[in-house]
Amino acid sequence: MKQQRLIARFAIENSDNFEVITIFDDEIKTVEIDKKNPILESISSKYTTATWFERKIHDDFGINIINSYDNRPLVHHERFPKIFPLRKDFKEKKIEFSQYTPYKYETVKGDGVFEVAVGPIHAGIIEPGHFQFSQEGERMLHLEVRHFYTYRGIEKTLEGQKLLDSQMTIERISGNESIAYQLALFDIIMQASGIKYDDELKKYHCLLLEIERIIHHLTDIGFIPNDAGFGAALSFASQLSEDTRIFLKEICGHRFGFGSIGFEVKEYDEKKVIDFLNTLEEKVKWFEDWITDIPSLWARFDTTGTLNKQKARKYGVVGVVARASGKQVDRRDNDFYKKHGFVLQNEKVGDVGSRFKLRIKEIYNSIAMIRNFTGSTCRVQKPKDFQDGEYMSFVESSIGELFMFIKIKDGLIERFYVRDPSFINWQALYLMMEKDIIADFPLINKSCDLSYAGNDL
Amino acid sequence: MIKFWKKRVENSIATRYLEFDKDLEEIKKELKTKINKKFAGSLAIRMVSSGSCNACEAECNALSNPYYDLERLGIHFVASPRHADVMLLSGVVSVNMYHHVQDVYAQMPQPAYIVTLGDCPMLANVFKKSFAIKGAKSLELPITYQIHGCPPEPKEIISGLLEFLKILD
Repeated sequence: MKQQRLIARFAIENSDNFEVITIFDDEIKTVEIDKKNPILESISSKYTTATWFERKIHDDFGINIINSYDNRPLVHHERFPKIFPLRKDFKEKKIEFSQYTPYKYETVKGDGVFEVAVGPIHAGIIEPGHFQFSQEGERMLHLEVRHFYTYRGIEKTLEGQKLLDSQMTIERISGNESIAYQLALFDIIMQASGIKYDDELKKYHCLLLEIERIIHHLTDIGFIPNDAGFGAALSFASQLSEDTRIFLKEICGHRFGFGSIGFEVKEYDEKKVIDFLNTLEEKVKWFEDWITDIPSLWARFDTTGTLNKQKARKYGVVGVVARASGKQVDRRDNDFYKKHGFVLQNEKVGDVGSRFKLRIKEIYNSIAMIRNFTGSTCRVQKPKDFQDGEYMSFVESSIGELFMFIKIKDGLIERFYVRDPSFINWQALYLMMEKDIIADFPLINKSCDLSYAGNDL
Repeated sequence: MIKFWKKRVENSIATRYLEFDKDLEEIKKELKTKINKKFAGSLAIRMVSSGSCNACEAECNALSNPYYDLERLGIHFVASPRHADVMLLSGVVSVNMYHHVQDVYAQMPQPAYIVTLGDCPMLANVFKKSFAIKGAKSLELPITYQIHGCPPEPKEIISGLLEFLKILD
């Protein structure tokens, strides 16, 4: 039997019970949970990635998970007090540190097996996160990814806010994917207000989203070779990504697109866009031609960090990681995008090389799409009233499928939940380590380029 | 590789083409003299993210691209706090990062300076109402200079660093 893909699992508090909603790719399941004796049956034996979702549900709501093989705290670290912040009766403005409780890492024990702890603060310019390796010499036996260092309590902060005011916060959840987050919110705003999401406006929004994707991919095709010791690629690609960022600022007024998704199409010079794309495409072509010709680099890329299709399916990975492993998962795979030149890009092997090649392919496809997205003008009435209810939105961010859920009650946000694509993919990261040595880890990690901030919230 | 060098000769140095290069050139010159004088030609920065949205990190990464290329001015990002003169602190200082930031400062050789990056550390933004954050002030460490912006652009970071060096006079 074909296994469903788990997209998200999260809880909501109602006045007389908790509700746990599980989203699959073709079905939504809801379980009601008694408030006096909150117990949830785990599904992690069937869906491995449910583990983090369930550990998070426990930390946020104090719902006890039974029949789970992992009951350790996820968000609450060593000195985090015993609170359940997403419960409605939690109203503290500030919290105090509690006593230090050690965290037990998942490790392999045995003769000559040792552990390497990396993080939370890393050597490069990068966000905080912890990696615990179990090593047999240079070979990685196991890796535990431990995150949530950047936990900012965003879900709670947004509760009670007006939908339109929440954009300022939501666009800052993950800077790399800011436009994608704003688009997910905008989609929900449109659903809740009952206004038609005009295709012309959508074209402009998708144009910005594709520019964001290009920037992200360009940065990565520089950093991946750099982690394999080939710095020249970084110099070249970072120049292109800087060009594109300056270009994004010219179009929408901000280098990361903060505040760019609104109810009207901002005016921009169409010819400039086309000229820019032509130059960029030419440069990327030159880059591709140059980089495919360097055998020592591909000796590092090929067969490193392989995630095969079976495992990718079992873990339900999304985005670039999934498509590099041959899975056909892309939220842009719909009529609107296809009409504007979208072609689903795929690779087969699922190693670092595949992810690298896929990123280059996607840059070309994004450039082709942007050409078709230009030249739209539109202005939509800013909505005032929103229908109460539960809304969901999916957007393909530069990392992968982004899922957002907002429950509106009395015109205000009652519950906000978002699942960054990284939340799923981080859990599958250790699978890529099986045959590799620890020196390959930075390369493998970078080839996936997952978000820490979006994952932690 | 021959392709690369051919291209390199054709294109010459990338920095020549940027329109704002002129004021940047001024800042850079001043910056270089200051660093030569105060830090014997090399300013080592340790970047610490304590709960940012990663836009500040992206802008810091951009500082090493061919347009800005901070390294030629003697500023480099180092891998360990023990090699650093300055801690460049971004992010809101989340509850989970609070003690780790303290650890970084404790490991830096004195004199050590803290420069905050972006609006987050001083809680001058949307996250200030959250329960799970502490803010840079709560660290009770000396903050020498603040670079504002959400996120500050590479050019603003460069001129911010210059201002910081001026404060040391």
